[in-house]
Amino acid sequence: MMINPVLLIAIPLGLAFIAVVFKKLQGWILAIGVAANAFLVFFVEKGETAIGGFKLPFAISLVLDDFSFIGVILVNVLTLAAVAVAFRKTEKYVPVILAGLAGLNGMVLTGDMFNLFVFMEITAISAYILSSEGRKPEQSFNYLVIGSIGSVLYLLGLILIYGQTGTLNMSLMAEKSALIGQAAMVLPLVLIFAGIAVEAKLLPMSGWVRGVLGNSNALTGVMFASVYSSAALMVFGRVFSQVLIPGTTAGVIIIVIALLTFAAGQVSAFRSKSLRQVLLYSSIAQSGLAAALFATGFVFPAVLVIINNAAGKMIMFSTAGNLEEKYGTDDYVGLGGAFVRNMPAGVAFTIAALSLTGLPLVFGFYAKLNVLAAYLNQGTFFVPAVVLAGTIIEGAYFIRILIKLWAPGKEGEWADADQSVGEKKIFNPAGTVVVILVTLLIILSGFLPDSVGKLVAPGGGLLGDEGPSISLTMEKGGDQ
Amino acid sequence: MIKFASLLLIIIGLYGILSTRNVIKILVGINVMEIGINVFIIAMGFVNDGAAPILSVDNPVNVLKFVDPVAQALVLTSIVIGLGITALGLVFARKIHKKYGTYDLSETGGES
Repeated sequence: MMINPVLLIAIPLGLAFIAVVFKKLQGWILAIGVAANAFLVFFVEKGETAIGGFKLPFAISLVLDDFSFIGVILVNVLTLAAVAVAFRKTEKYVPVILAGLAGLNGMVLTGDMFNLFVFMEITAISAYILSSEGRKPEQSFNYLVIGSIGSVLYLLGLILIYGQTGTLNMSLMAEKSALIGQAAMVLPLVLIFAGIAVEAKLLPMSGWVRGVLGNSNALTGVMFASVYSSAALMVFGRVFSQVLIPGTTAGVIIIVIALLTFAAGQVSAFRSKSLRQVLLYSSIAQSGLAAALFATGFVFPAVLVIINNAAGKMIMFSTAGNLEEKYGTDDYVGLGGAFVRNMPAGVAFTIAALSLTGLPLVFGFYAKLNVLAAYLNQGTFFVPAVVLAGTIIEGAYFIRILIKLWAPGKEGEWADADQSVGEKKIFNPAGTVVVILVTLLIILSGFLPDSVGKLVAPGGGLLGDEGPSISLTMEKGGDQ
Repeated sequence: MIKFASLLLIIIGLYGILSTRNVIKILVGINVMEIGINVFIIAMGFVNDGAAPILSVDNPVNVLKFVDPVAQALVLTSIVIGLGITALGLVFARKIHKKYGTYDLSETGGES
């Protein structure tokens, strides 16, 4: 039995309102909501669904193709993981998390550019409220201001394109915008880029990330770095590789900004001493890489980078948030040997770090290999050079952290377990199970990368530049 | 003309946001920007001597004279979202004042 995709939005949204009324049952409502969505996502009907009783292209539509299918799986499964790892921290935020989940599903599924704006705003409002968990209202306010500027710029860009194409439907806009001269598209594209860049954590709109993620806990860290970030990048991919394909000028602008984001993120991560800061700058870098790939048209490797980053950051941010809570610091020098008596968390963190760096036998290797192969096949050598240089920096800072967290004591001396910072449990039992499951997935998909590849791109695309099949063209409905 | 005026409003709002560290004034700046973009959207759908886009037998109107109803629907949604953002911004402003005793961001301490 297949279900209507609108249920992925309606169920959490309805439960969010119910949770406001039945405060005592909030925990159950959240658990049921996120679990139901994570289960139902595998039974959603593919294709384009018109909403509201109007005919396409006048109706708002939801599009579930291979691309958005990956998006909704990431969003729903990772939200379930985030809630399971930090269930106790969700107490005050049940309606917010559920409304956010509705917004995220809407963002990934929608086939209408204005509806995308509405869902982005719903998601953003839930994100602003979640960020207030960091007890730094000025940082949440800063995030709100940057988000508001971004949304006004997005709306301005969108309305300029609407003025030229006369439609808000993505598939029709894709057809009509292809006929418009490149010069007329540069300004709207740059404005829309600025709007999406806020949630996607791309320069110059990523100013909020340090304040918000730098003060995150096991719940908010995973939500921002894994769930919101993945959805925003999938939207970036939808818009810039399928709807409004940038011409030469706009393409160069976006790719240069994305690569600068990647490079600046890696360098800033290398210079940071706090664990969460290293991770947040690493997230910015990964976003930059995925955005550069999308803007070049390499959808398949970009989706692999997003999956790799989402899985890795889920483990790492939940570990970092819990470490800070248990030991009162997230300066990794002060956390020497924290993993010695926390083997499951330590091993999971290590595997996630290796996967993000792109070492063999884990999923990240397959992702990085595809990134490099895509550019080298095209005959571009500059970008692979930047990616490799970034990877070396990435490897350096992750190894530095791993050494500190596994081996207490001074450099050059024998590390003894007694020198470690303590033996407080990093995860609760449910958290440990979730983290181990995600780690096993990273390892398994490292050994069987083709199966993940086929999930991302059933029509091929392994080690190539063909993306997931896309059904944004109304009449065709199926694969393009 | 209205389009240029609305773009000017957006720029004034942006200047307001960037030139002050007072939380309330920043929120006013955001609102000015939002009004600017809303007027711009309405101006995009404007038709000189236009009519409301309602087809009726009693009052036949040249379809080409209809103003764009999509733009108006968008603005309604955009206004509601703007209201939500402003309300949330004011909550944060209140929290900042409660914690630091000031609305001035430059007096709230360090960056992180």
